[in-house]
Amino acid sequence: MVSITGVIARPTSYSGLWGWITTVDHKRIGVLYGVTAFIMFLIAGLEAGAIRAQLAQPDNTLIGPGTFNRLFTMHATAMVFMVIMPLSASFFNFVVPLAIGARDVAFPRLNAFSYWVFLFGTLLMHASVLVGQVPDAGWFSYANLTSTTYSPNDGLDFWALGLLVLGVSSVAAALNFMVTIINMRCPGMTMMRMPVFIWMTLITSILLVLAFPVITVGLVELVLDRNFGTHFFDTSGGGDPILWQHLFWVFGHPEVYILILPPMGVVSEILPTFSRKPLFGYPVVVFSGIVIGFMSWAVWSHHMFTTGMGPTALTVFTITTMLIAVPTGVKIFNWIGTMWGGSIDLKTPMLFAIGFISLFIIGGLSGVSHAVAPSDFQQQDTYYIVAHIHYVLFGGSIFGIFAGIYYWFPKMTGRMLGEGMGKANFWFTFAGMNITFFPMHFVGMNGMPRRIYTYGEEFGWGWLNSLSSLGYVVLFIGMLLFVINLIQSLRNGRPSGHDPWDAPTLEWSISSPPPVYNFAEIPRVEGRDPYWTTKRRAEAAGQPVAGPEAPVDVSTIHMPSPSYWPAFAAVGVVLIAAGLLTHYGLSLVGGLIALLGTIGWSNEPATAPQSHH
Amino acid sequence: MKPQPGQLKRISNRISGGGYNYRRFAKFAMLAAILLLLLACSTGRQSTWDPVGPVAERQLLLFNVLLWVMVAVFLLVEGVLLYAAVRYRRRPGQALPTQTHGNTSLEITWTIIPTILVMALGIWSVITLYQFDEPPASATNVLHVNVTGHQWWFEFEYEDAGGGKRIVTANELKIPVDRAVRLTLESDDVLHSFWVPKLAGKVDVIPTRTNHMWFQADSEKIDSLPAIFYGQCAEFCGIAHALMKFQVRVMDQQDYDSWVTNYGPPPTTTAQAQKGQQLFGQCVMCHSIDGNNDSQAQASRKEAFVAGGALAPAPNLTDLRTRGTLAAGLLDLNKENFKRWVKNPDDVKPGNLMQARAAHLYGSGQLSLNDNDLDALAAYLLNLQ
Repeated sequence: MVSITGVIARPTSYSGLWGWITTVDHKRIGVLYGVTAFIMFLIAGLEAGAIRAQLAQPDNTLIGPGTFNRLFTMHATAMVFMVIMPLSASFFNFVVPLAIGARDVAFPRLNAFSYWVFLFGTLLMHASVLVGQVPDAGWFSYANLTSTTYSPNDGLDFWALGLLVLGVSSVAAALNFMVTIINMRCPGMTMMRMPVFIWMTLITSILLVLAFPVITVGLVELVLDRNFGTHFFDTSGGGDPILWQHLFWVFGHPEVYILILPPMGVVSEILPTFSRKPLFGYPVVVFSGIVIGFMSWAVWSHHMFTTGMGPTALTVFTITTMLIAVPTGVKIFNWIGTMWGGSIDLKTPMLFAIGFISLFIIGGLSGVSHAVAPSDFQQQDTYYIVAHIHYVLFGGSIFGIFAGIYYWFPKMTGRMLGEGMGKANFWFTFAGMNITFFPMHFVGMNGMPRRIYTYGEEFGWGWLNSLSSLGYVVLFIGMLLFVINLIQSLRNGRPSGHDPWDAPTLEWSISSPPPVYNFAEIPRVEGRDPYWTTKRRAEAAGQPVAGPEAPVDVSTIHMPSPSYWPAFAAVGVVLIAAGLLTHYGLSLVGGLIALLGTIGWSNEPATAPQSHH
Repeated sequence: MKPQPGQLKRISNRISGGGYNYRRFAKFAMLAAILLLLLACSTGRQSTWDPVGPVAERQLLLFNVLLWVMVAVFLLVEGVLLYAAVRYRRRPGQALPTQTHGNTSLEITWTIIPTILVMALGIWSVITLYQFDEPPASATNVLHVNVTGHQWWFEFEYEDAGGGKRIVTANELKIPVDRAVRLTLESDDVLHSFWVPKLAGKVDVIPTRTNHMWFQADSEKIDSLPAIFYGQCAEFCGIAHALMKFQVRVMDQQDYDSWVTNYGPPPTTTAQAQKGQQLFGQCVMCHSIDGNNDSQAQASRKEAFVAGGALAPAPNLTDLRTRGTLAAGLLDLNKENFKRWVKNPDDVKPGNLMQARAAHLYGSGQLSLNDNDLDALAAYLLNLQ
């Protein structure tokens, strides 16, 4: 068996294409996640543009119903699974080991594997575009519209198999971060001394590991129904379409918090830094995150209020859903408490963080209005819901992620993102977001259902939709400014130094970008906000604040070596799925490749004997 | 601690870019925002802000109370947030602010107050749920209608529309005013959702399940009768989901009774109508007309089935002539629209099943009936003289 690993020489290069393909460095993998997900963000954003163009005026004939259905399906599926989740994963990867004082994640090769599976899963689902069989049943693809009777082409197979592959990636990554956070904290970093972002990463990872198996069951059943003649959801064979809804939302509601908890963590890092004050009520913020994590399992049926579940079930889910607003509200109050009495510097990350809070308040409040079942009967499946989800996921998640990009970009690259462009980026995005999505509340209450490709003039929805479409243009300019800013700053952004924000956490104590080994000497911490304490102590003692550690020879530090096997095994995983779409023989080949990859991987020492010791 | 007026002005100047008249801009923006809000709330034909019956009314009341609570919380929290962001902006040379870590009594307060608030709203909404699940016990003479969802139209079956008469119709639900109507909802194919915003919130229409809902149209909230209320399928159900519309026609009892009495196959008093009736024989493998040509219809359906033809349930056309629209609420019912629809259904309602299923009529790529045939069909079905 050892001979298998001997066939191909262990990669040694850290540079060039092969350096990226074989990398196991959490920072590089974080960058890979970020770049891939950002490209997907642009694609899914352009899909939204096509949707807004079609809806800009009544009786528009720009895009027909088929294309429209494919557009909203791919837009939402991509934004949830291929944009927000991997962008959060990008931060997990880059920040977690640095902020807990570790040299890498617990399983560096598994980390690389997660990324490659994510990339291939994304490509697999989008291969549907190449063969013209694109998923078109919405991002929650309710059964039994998804049966072969009503969706005969392969689009939903691409969708289900793509999501299954992405699930493998998510669960592997989540396990990795759980183990990393629990086991790899530096000496002195007790659980209650961890930055809140690390806490939110931990809670999110636990939710991921528990939630993805549920949708996996649903997706496997869907694939079996569509390809092997079972009847889990197929009503003609006695299947139950409501079973799909339960499986989807038992996953789907924790998923909502999987999407929002990491940005909440990001904001919990940024607010103290730019207010020059520690986070207000740290234990409360942490525990409210845990409470949200627990309660997210008890609210799923509020997505199904109109399925006729009867007043008893409606009562239970109305009450639990209303209660989950409380820990969310408590977080917001503590964030404001952090700013109160602080010394607030409205740099771009802080603007996005405050933008996050202000927009999330709107999304949270409209959420309460459809937590109440009788009120939701009028709102369910209307544009009111579309408005809500975008206030939470765009105003919330995406704003939090942008805050994080502006905040950690200097750490990732050693350069600052342009501040003037950043502010312009923020204001255009903030204005565009509100012009696009705020009118949707009204158009929804005026009776416009979601997922309709056309509407008559007589409904009176025209001008509000035009306004939304105009908002998209503003939003588009905002995003364009960001892309320009990104390119400019990567080329010749101002050098940032190691600690441009006077930040409190460990990642800022090392140079930017950090060396491969992160910390030459593993730090030892004595409390929360360790780097803040170090700096203030030095100031109090009248000493200069110590700069980052001097670089050391990487070969003197025990680091995991690059490896071909994660990417190799990931190819196998995606081929298994692709084979179900084309020829089962391909699945067999994929299985063999995955097996070979796993064997090669397990026989290969984490650190190559000839490299660093 | 209070901010000085000058300080705020400086900040506002900074925000507005210096010399610009900030106050005038703010006034203008406020006015524009209020106008826009009022416009946005204006009611349309499917507006939930304009209920005409007890169910939709109570749902709106709940929403309105929530809305004002939300507005109050919004103003309070956003206000404090904005105030903090402006008031505590960093000044040059400012020393490190007091390093506070939290405040237990504050935490308890802002946990308990929202809990009480949401619980109060929660309990009220739960009471509403039980109260409005079924028509009130006081409602006598409830009208029962079975609704079946199809891709992409709704079928209505009255087991007893009045005097024991069974009526089957589609896309236009006729109900008497001031009478509770209880619907049972089933689907023939995929998920749909039955929604007439002015009468009641939606209930999903699900294959394998029987759901129910009820509503009532109150005469005191309706200007004149008959009145039309518009509805639309609210659960994504495939390619023509956006075009799956329907109407509820609220009539006074007398009008309703006369519709029930007159319900029956169209008269065939003219030669043209008789020709139309004959031509309709080509439609009966999917469409039906009650009480007329029953054996012929059945024979024709059987023939189509044996021949491997697709049997699709399609709207019962017995009372087509009494409806306001065609093609699931898409077109006003008149001769021109009828001909347009039958001639080229895919143009009117992309995705509909008529053209796809009726191979004997559309198989050649265009309708095998000529203009005269269509005139005759229209004369028969719409009872044109």
